[in-house]
Amino acid sequence: MLMTPQEARDLARSTVAMTAADEAEVLVGADCSALTRFANNRINQNVAEENAIVSVRAVLGKRVGVASTNRLDTASLQAACDAAVRAARVSPEDPSFPGLPGPSPLVDANRALSATRDFDAEARAAAVGAIVAESASRGLTVAGKVRCAEHTVAVANSLGVDAGASLTGAQATVLSMGAATGSGWASFLDADASKLNAAALGAEAADLALRSADPQDLKPGDYQVVLAPEAVADIMDFLAYVGFSAKAYHEGRSFLSGHLGDSVMNERVSILDDALAPFAMGLAFDYEGQPKQRVSMIERGVAMSPVTDSYWAVKTGRTNTGHALPAPNSYGPMPLNVAMEPGEATMDELIGSVQRGVYVTRFHYVNVEDPISVLLTGMTRDGTFLIENGRLARPLKNLRFTQGAVEALAGCEGATSARKFVGTEEGACYVPGLLLAKFSFTGQTS
Amino acid sequence: MNDIISAALDAAASSGASYADVRIVDTSREAIQIASGVVEKVEHSDSFGLGVRALADGAWGFASSREVTATEAVKVARQAVAIARASALVKAAPVVLAPVEPARGSWSSTCVIDPFAVALEDKLALLIAADEALRTQPQVAITKAQLDFFRERKWFGSTEGALTEQSVIESGAGIVAYAIADGEMVSRSYPNSHGGSSSQAGWEFILGLDLVGNAPRIAEQAAQLLSASFVEPGTRDLVIDGGQMSLQVHESIGHPTELDRVLGEEAAYAGTSFLQLDDVGSLKYGSPIVTVTSDSTVPGSLGSFGWDDEGVPAQRDYLVRDGILAGFQSSRETAPITGRASNGCMRADGWNRIPLVRMTTVSLEPGTWDFDDLIADTENGLYVETNNSWSIDDKRLNFQFATEIGWEIENGKLGRMVRSPNYTGITPKFWNSCDAICSRDHWKVWGLNNCGKGEPMQVAHVAHGAAPARFRGVQVGVGR
Repeated sequence: MLMTPQEARDLARSTVAMTAADEAEVLVGADCSALTRFANNRINQNVAEENAIVSVRAVLGKRVGVASTNRLDTASLQAACDAAVRAARVSPEDPSFPGLPGPSPLVDANRALSATRDFDAEARAAAVGAIVAESASRGLTVAGKVRCAEHTVAVANSLGVDAGASLTGAQATVLSMGAATGSGWASFLDADASKLNAAALGAEAADLALRSADPQDLKPGDYQVVLAPEAVADIMDFLAYVGFSAKAYHEGRSFLSGHLGDSVMNERVSILDDALAPFAMGLAFDYEGQPKQRVSMIERGVAMSPVTDSYWAVKTGRTNTGHALPAPNSYGPMPLNVAMEPGEATMDELIGSVQRGVYVTRFHYVNVEDPISVLLTGMTRDGTFLIENGRLARPLKNLRFTQGAVEALAGCEGATSARKFVGTEEGACYVPGLLLAKFSFTGQTS
Repeated sequence: MNDIISAALDAAASSGASYADVRIVDTSREAIQIASGVVEKVEHSDSFGLGVRALADGAWGFASSREVTATEAVKVARQAVAIARASALVKAAPVVLAPVEPARGSWSSTCVIDPFAVALEDKLALLIAADEALRTQPQVAITKAQLDFFRERKWFGSTEGALTEQSVIESGAGIVAYAIADGEMVSRSYPNSHGGSSSQAGWEFILGLDLVGNAPRIAEQAAQLLSASFVEPGTRDLVIDGGQMSLQVHESIGHPTELDRVLGEEAAYAGTSFLQLDDVGSLKYGSPIVTVTSDSTVPGSLGSFGWDDEGVPAQRDYLVRDGILAGFQSSRETAPITGRASNGCMRADGWNRIPLVRMTTVSLEPGTWDFDDLIADTENGLYVETNNSWSIDDKRLNFQFATEIGWEIENGKLGRMVRSPNYTGITPKFWNSCDAICSRDHWKVWGLNNCGKGEPMQVAHVAHGAAPARFRGVQVGVGR
């Protein structure tokens, strides 16, 4: 039985009291999750997990140590507290360490839904059965997953921080594959598992697989491109990972460094992080128990602000925007509720405006070659099409791209009004489809 | 532990499981990191729990819990069987496991100096010294030095009578210098990028790396890279160092020869493979000098064990022999499809994950060349060191790697330094262009502790033996 937010807060507070340090912070993360995977038109893996981790951050002056355990008996918790203190005692001082943050008013955003909690193995199997039927009836092979999870997170510290919440996530992914090398993809993410229409999701992937059969060659080069939300999310993830952190900004590793106030992307591009938006998923507070603030990183193409946590707010002279990751955090602050503002077009209108270009359903195995320009390389996958005269003319073999993300978004020519969640419940992007003026395809799988 | 294992196995069997296995896993990790003179991480973490995998009605179920008691084990076993029955609602042919002699006994990795017994002060002192030694060039703006230690005790039992206990200690370290100027950044790492290198060994492995002694060279190269040119785009003869070769082997031979990928079992996430079952014995994977082994018996290697997580004994097998595809990495479920026994590649990332087909030590066997002779034999080429980034398609055919540093080879000599050179290729074409591999004198095992696969994500600790090798006519300088 997963602990409640109140139980997690009680555990966090009592563990803070066990820590013999100048300051102490305790993060409790409890998870109950189940995942049903399928491949070759049958369930091939089906797993369930229950875990709870208590992480202690001990502070002695400007020295910090961290220890964690998933043993929740008193002796084990005391051992973790003592280990954190021991680590702090021998650590060199960090002159910039500002101390732990104090309490701030929090918004109550309990995002745990019983429909997801109750979506058991039989329900997941029924969903998989509906998905499989859509591909099997079309002579296709299907793979993917149906996952449900509930997380309880609590943070307490010796200065009075006392935060706790639960959230749920339901996720499904579908890859449908045909014999003639075509494949199609569909995905679902919501806090509420009852919103999953498995048959419709299965049909979406299967239809795309049929449409992408017998793909053709395309000569590598620069093309106008329409990216479906799944592909846009990959770009957003890397912008967040290497570009939007105050640490990367301060160290000169971000494309924002030295360019706040400058126009760095097309004015159609606005990117923000807003955990309190009506549509948002995930936690409303960060892993230091601070309220997540709405931050505009890019507004109408202009570089506005990185996100901060308690350490990097003080270090860079900014306010704490509430974007701390769990300690110890060598990455720096990170936005976990990234959203791109929508446009006004439909996907058909974006495609309709392209004389000759490429439509991308999603990317595969994207990685960053240069963090400052956010130069990315990766492959297209599961539905790549040549656009000619405003229509999807024919499917294409998977293409490799090598493209700077900032440069690509400087050429944003349109966005869909509809947006989609991509990712997992804590860390999902909420993004539209995009039309970009130029995207560099540098290779192809023959 | 044996009582808890027995309780779980009895509960699974009495609930109707035709097969079940139990793993109890107790892990500890210690991670320490200094960045630019500041402590970023001093962390100790423990994780303890049990997982039960059950076959019922011909399908799999798995459940796990952090509570390691006989009562909880019974509950988890029954849950695993119930999940298996739900899996059977959408099944094809019943799962059949290749026979294996029930494993009995114990195994442990070798460790001279227990890293968890070394004083934290000594570890911090080493990292502070290494970090300081990196900060010797004005262009170097960010430095990092890190240590990672891992200890695992694992108890395994099955309804077939297997009962084993294994323990592993791993130690790893790395340093990196980032030079930044005018909106450009380069990195230089030692002994490898992405956290360094790891081994099944103790503190003696860390001391042997000589982080402090190597730091000034790394910093100097990072500074030089800032003013180095990019490689001219085109087709070149490419000589790749052992570190980058280890990742090349990992991505373009290790993953595509995982039998679960070949069979489509990982299609939706990591992808499939360009290989087909009937390619064994006929597909010309590489040139005749290319031989690749899967070996879980290599002493001190991250991929070594006594038995895999299905109780199959550690062994050495050929994946590519004299350039021809020779076999796959397999499990008890997948191996029978190929008419072979499992070659013991099933591993799980802790108590709360099921075992998957994972690499052990997948190595490019050494050739005959001396490195200096290889460079001297290359008229007009490029020599590259240390991975910077990697990407490969869902069938493991189309790859692109960027490295940290390279040097032009002109008339058999290393010449001008080039910045962050990348290269791209198609897997079989690339390996068939391999015409020289350096000898065992230049061959070493590189430990990688960040191999991701599966859903929920699992991170495996694997290794690759590799020496520098030459490939003819490779496309370099992509997108620059």
